[in-house]
Amino acid sequence: MKKITGFLMVLAVLFSFSVMITAEETTAPAADETAAAASGDETTAPSEESVLPDNADMTLGMKSEDNVMPATFRGGDPDSSLVHCLEDVYYEKHEHSLIYKEDAAELADGAKFESDPNITWDTKVKDADGNWKTLTSANTNMAADGGKFYAPGEYQIGNSGARQVGASSSGADNEAIGEGDDPTDDEEEAAGGDETDTALVDENGNTETETKTVTAQQSMGVQVHDVTSPDLWVAFQEGAGKVDMAATEQELKGKMMDKIISTLGRPFSTNADDYAEASYMFIDEGDETERDRVPFEKTARLSVAGALFNERGAPKFESKAVDSRTLDEETMTRQVHVAGGEKSALKGVFVRRNVPFIFAAMAVDNGDNRAKAGEVACRIEKADGTEVEKDGNSYLFRVPNFPRDNYEDQPEYFFVAKGSDKSGNLTTVRTPLYVVDIQASFEGGRNQ
Amino acid sequence: MKKTFICLFSAVVALGSMVSAQEPQTGAPANLEKTPWLKGVEISPYPVDISPVIPLKIYAENGEAIPATLTEDVPLVVVADTAVFEADPPTEYKGQQIPNPQWVENAAISWFFIDWEKNKNHMASVSEPLAANQMVIIPTMPTGKGAITCHIARKMRYDLPEPGRKKSTFANSSGAKDVRVLDITPPLCGLEISVENGPSGACWPVENPPDKYPLPKQADVFLSGALFNAADQDVLIQGLELGNNMIVRPEQGALTVAADAKLTIRVIGGDNYKLDNSKLKFGLCNGAGGVPSPVGPENAELLDLSKLKLPEAPYLYLDATDVAGNQQVMFVPVKIK
Repeated sequence: MKKITGFLMVLAVLFSFSVMITAEETTAPAADETAAAASGDETTAPSEESVLPDNADMTLGMKSEDNVMPATFRGGDPDSSLVHCLEDVYYEKHEHSLIYKEDAAELADGAKFESDPNITWDTKVKDADGNWKTLTSANTNMAADGGKFYAPGEYQIGNSGARQVGASSSGADNEAIGEGDDPTDDEEEAAGGDETDTALVDENGNTETETKTVTAQQSMGVQVHDVTSPDLWVAFQEGAGKVDMAATEQELKGKMMDKIISTLGRPFSTNADDYAEASYMFIDEGDETERDRVPFEKTARLSVAGALFNERGAPKFESKAVDSRTLDEETMTRQVHVAGGEKSALKGVFVRRNVPFIFAAMAVDNGDNRAKAGEVACRIEKADGTEVEKDGNSYLFRVPNFPRDNYEDQPEYFFVAKGSDKSGNLTTVRTPLYVVDIQASFEGGRNQ
Repeated sequence: MKKTFICLFSAVVALGSMVSAQEPQTGAPANLEKTPWLKGVEISPYPVDISPVIPLKIYAENGEAIPATLTEDVPLVVVADTAVFEADPPTEYKGQQIPNPQWVENAAISWFFIDWEKNKNHMASVSEPLAANQMVIIPTMPTGKGAITCHIARKMRYDLPEPGRKKSTFANSSGAKDVRVLDITPPLCGLEISVENGPSGACWPVENPPDKYPLPKQADVFLSGALFNAADQDVLIQGLELGNNMIVRPEQGALTVAADAKLTIRVIGGDNYKLDNSKLKFGLCNGAGGVPSPVGPENAELLDLSKLKLPEAPYLYLDATDVAGNQQVMFVPVKIK
């Protein structure tokens, strides 16, 4: 029994050593192979180790896994190699290559770095023709970089690296960065054409070789997901007399479409006098200080402008921040919901009895940089959800229902609107719609 | 029992070794004193997944080699010769087969000009339509050590062993052409003059239009300060040829000083590459044009006019030459009160 145990022990120790040696052998040649094949240049063969490669492999990735979404996020294909990120979140990316190492020996035998690396981070976006256009290019000379994606979409992050490498170590320190050559000293060499890695003999008789720029390059596709609710505008316009309300509605929609795109969703004026024709409700991502916040700190801004948002019919422009909440934890979609009422920033919509009115809602989204506006579904409904139909080409209420205490027998009305983007982010409104007595509300400053 | 435990321990060590041998090699931690650019980098330099590197050579538009010395401001159309634009991606990389490879995106291309003396690059871009593999490089700054680089990435897809699964990756192609850029712009030096306990003034040229080619280069000359009667607004003299005969005419502006003024003169500005300080001359001269005829000491920082026999048409002159031999000689009239 002792012999068997001893034999097993010796065998296990020997096996352990053999595997450790194998492990070292498999990694070391792998590095050599990488170096030898780093160029991808057919001139670089194992038998010509001293020949400098033209280029080298590079690795590139997002540094922190904390903020990076899973490969299957929002239906992503795990084999697509796309990295899934959220807009407005800070990401760190890093890259590495043999040309960034301290020692150039893995590039070629006797090779020596003659400069610091030159490192550039590019962000590219695809245009309508499928061509990649450079959005930003930063020559940081650092192999790690950080930043945010401020708009959803597909990006390509590229890292372009280059470094001067000398093939002979004896010629390594012939010139420090920043000293430079005098171009006029080299005119004779220049006449020799493109041969720049000619061997020279220095004043000490050592063979020195001119340096050569070796490059490396890697890219990473990034899908940046939209986590911002769309900007939603609602306009209410009253009519009187023989006004063609159908034509008025089309005109109103046309005006809204132009304005919502030109202002990128922001209110087109903060002056209440500019809202005499129609009253507007704006729900947007906010001003410059409020936009592009990290998802869990996102807010929206509700602005109401015109005479239809208070019972007195007084023209006003009021604005207030409203919360944004996570709609779905898994898909990270968000919702901005404005619930009107007594304790809300939006008390309600106040329309006049016997005055016809129309309304329309439009939305823009940061998913396409607010380039296109789309009509949004909206309606008036009763408390039970029953839709209130138009009276001809417009809405018209003949019986007041406000103050509610005085008109408890009259139905409650609600204005509802729902805008969504392609990612499923929502902006919704549900606010009471009150019908006020025309004389009391506009002339007396109160309702009765 | 103890021996059995040792056996088990050895087996665990062996298994651990096997596992670590299969993990991607990360290499030794970077020495950030010697490689500060690796600060914050935690990724290995050795790729785990297939990402083929395709050779790239940079040629001139006509297919010839790019000369080792380029001339500042002279456009050069360069072409990237690489298989990344071919119909199909590579089917093998480093001995590893890439089954059924297909391109899935257009190539993303970046061209740079690196000035290795400053370790800064400039991104090249053109508005005119060119073939995808072409670019116009205009080296606007001279350098004794530069490189044109091209970096191209193209997304591709290949079959995984599991039926129906396709993996995406990037094929990368990059290359460089080392070049120098010859300086053809004369220096842009000026003079700052002040009178002891009195007003001051300055005159200096600005290349306009910048980076003009073909030659000659042109410059505007600015006169400023009370000594040039330009205390409130600079005097602008447009369209002088930047070279060795830059003459400001008396009706355009002049340095106005008393006959016994003591002038302190200082050279301002410089060259877009390197000024040859050994050839720098300035002072007072007789008349304008050609080789200056100095009156009084040359390169004197303090000039006492009372001790000089002033000529009929005195001028301030500045003669500057860069290391490439480009010369600027500027004459500015002096009016004695």
